[in-house]
Amino acid sequence: MSEINHEAPQPKRRGFIKTLVAGSVTAGGAAAGLLGDVDPVDGSFGMRQAQAQANAGPVKMAFIEWQPHTVPAAWSKGIEDVLKSQAGVQYKLLDGQNKVEVQVSLMDTLINEGTSVIFLQPIDSVALAPSINKAKRAGIPVITLNIDATAPHAAHVEMSHYYGAMDIARVMGEKMGGKGDVAILNAPPGIVIRDQRTKGFVDGMKKHHPSIKVVADQVADWSRKKAQDVLATILAAKPGLAGVYGVNDSMALGAVDVAKEKGLLGKMVIFGNDGERDALESIEKAELTGTQYTDVFQQGRFAAASATVLASGQVPATAFKKQAHLLMPYVIVTKENVAQIQPSQRW
Amino acid sequence: MNRRASTYALPFFLALTFAFFCVFAPRFATSANLENLMAGYAFVAIVAIGQSFPILLKGIDLSIGAIVALAGIVTLDLSLIFHWPGLAVIPAVLVVAALAGAVNGLLIVYLRLQPFIATLATLAAYRGLVFLISGRQLFPELSTTPITDPWIVALDTYFDIGSALGVSDFIQLPGLPLSFVILVVLLIGFQVLLLATRFGRDLYAVGGNHEAARLAGIRTRRVTILAYTISGTCAGVAALLLVARLTTSTEALGNGMELTAISAAVIGGVSLQGGVGTAWGPVLGAFLLGVVLIGLTLLGVTQFVQQILTGAILLAAVCQSRLIAARQQRRTDAALVAGG
Repeated sequence: MSEINHEAPQPKRRGFIKTLVAGSVTAGGAAAGLLGDVDPVDGSFGMRQAQAQANAGPVKMAFIEWQPHTVPAAWSKGIEDVLKSQAGVQYKLLDGQNKVEVQVSLMDTLINEGTSVIFLQPIDSVALAPSINKAKRAGIPVITLNIDATAPHAAHVEMSHYYGAMDIARVMGEKMGGKGDVAILNAPPGIVIRDQRTKGFVDGMKKHHPSIKVVADQVADWSRKKAQDVLATILAAKPGLAGVYGVNDSMALGAVDVAKEKGLLGKMVIFGNDGERDALESIEKAELTGTQYTDVFQQGRFAAASATVLASGQVPATAFKKQAHLLMPYVIVTKENVAQIQPSQRW
Repeated sequence: MNRRASTYALPFFLALTFAFFCVFAPRFATSANLENLMAGYAFVAIVAIGQSFPILLKGIDLSIGAIVALAGIVTLDLSLIFHWPGLAVIPAVLVVAALAGAVNGLLIVYLRLQPFIATLATLAAYRGLVFLISGRQLFPELSTTPITDPWIVALDTYFDIGSALGVSDFIQLPGLPLSFVILVVLLIGFQVLLLATRFGRDLYAVGGNHEAARLAGIRTRRVTILAYTISGTCAGVAALLLVARLTTSTEALGNGMELTAISAAVIGGVSLQGGVGTAWGPVLGAFLLGVVLIGLTLLGVTQFVQQILTGAILLAAVCQSRLIAARQQRRTDAALVAGG
């Protein structure tokens, strides 16, 4: 019992000193912050003109992706190709971790940091709109990749979802001989690309091949494995299926797996969308019938080229009364023309 | 280090980290960045406070992220489909969130389910419910319509305390987000609840030793259900603040937030063994995570390293509380041996 009494006075003093130290450190840090930046080199602090700092340092650009994946990685590579060749440009890739609030927080941080241009793959078109508006007010142009946002911004560079899907419908219908039933393996709901690609496909079929019917439209979560299960179920209900459209390549490859298993390869026309390396190889092997190929590296390069112009300061972000909409050129790749796609263009 | 000194360890470490980044991270020590920190992590801190109540009872609430999504989507539906005024939407959403939390409590108490299992089940159920009732699925054009109701949008205001205090000519104070003010109010309210009310004492008793508390006449069932209801309501408040910030809600809102909340609570000294913890600990834990993540981003450290460091901080916090508990145990044993 006496042991505990001896301990009693000391912790109070220790605790008090710790609070004092902690308090003064925090107060000092806060005061330094409120009075301006602390210069890590000479320890001085004071008000700094943001403009002077922006002109003095390197031009900073950053890309906030949805989450690590082959497509944003290829965009980033394309962006780096253009930006790394310029002296005085710093570029970094940030992970949105599949959470909108993380992307919003990263946007805030980049705006605060004095970034010159922000590349963004928004997880949600509306949720990132306030952040884009905030960036515009700070004079920072925002370039969105593939997924548009509801707030008008400098530029949007996309894989031509709608028109590409229309062309897929046209070529697919030709391969099917102009008639038959198709099933769509779709993305999870709530993503703008899904609606654009589905609408494009349906409109394309109506326009070019009105006798082809879409008999099923099931969600396969962008995933190859899920697509296998979903298509197997659809085939059980509709064994005479003539065509399958996977809204991305992974799902289309899942359809190919099922077709191989059931020996339907020659009888089913399967199309994907995106143009991944695996899909192109599958087309060469005459398994997947076709896909929409976009040079994703080039998409990144286009975006970076626009960014370089914007960052030069000649065109301010506020000058954009109307948003630029860049649709990437694409190729509907089938066995006949797959050899055109060079290995260095495959991603 | 005994129990009392250890309560200063976290604020000290937070201040130390904050000072470190003020000096070494460019643009960290600016009013804009402090604003971002407050606005970006206030709702995380609120969810963490809510999460600490089930943890105090030696339970856990894995469905807290799903309740955030549920509350968010109900906000969207009521505003954009039914066109309720914001003044009616806010209490309705809080009621829904509280009920969602209460369901957890009821499952644990009356079906005698393990909290982990019960909240795992409701996690899945609520996520499914979110997709079922989502206005963005039923009316696709709503996924591109922002919420513009003035009461909800007002939840995202910033108070210009610089001009209010008349000091804006000398120093630039950060704009104070309303979410931060709400956080402070909730913090004070819950801390008072935990320390000064019968319910708070009952909570610690049930968490420390459930059977002893029950035998002592404490209404353990009521305490449990109330704790999970509080957890759900906090998730609802956080959801409203998030929806105001984003002007919309997504079906995937709050994905993974339960793990962040648990990390913040554990770093804040809330023991997973139950019976130990405060309301301000999780708040400091949440802001520690925020300071570290924002500071490292400004320093240019890649996010993968950031995630490793977050894990390391969590590990250090757990080890520290285990060390203190072990030392406390040894001291108690020694005292018993000496005295008896």
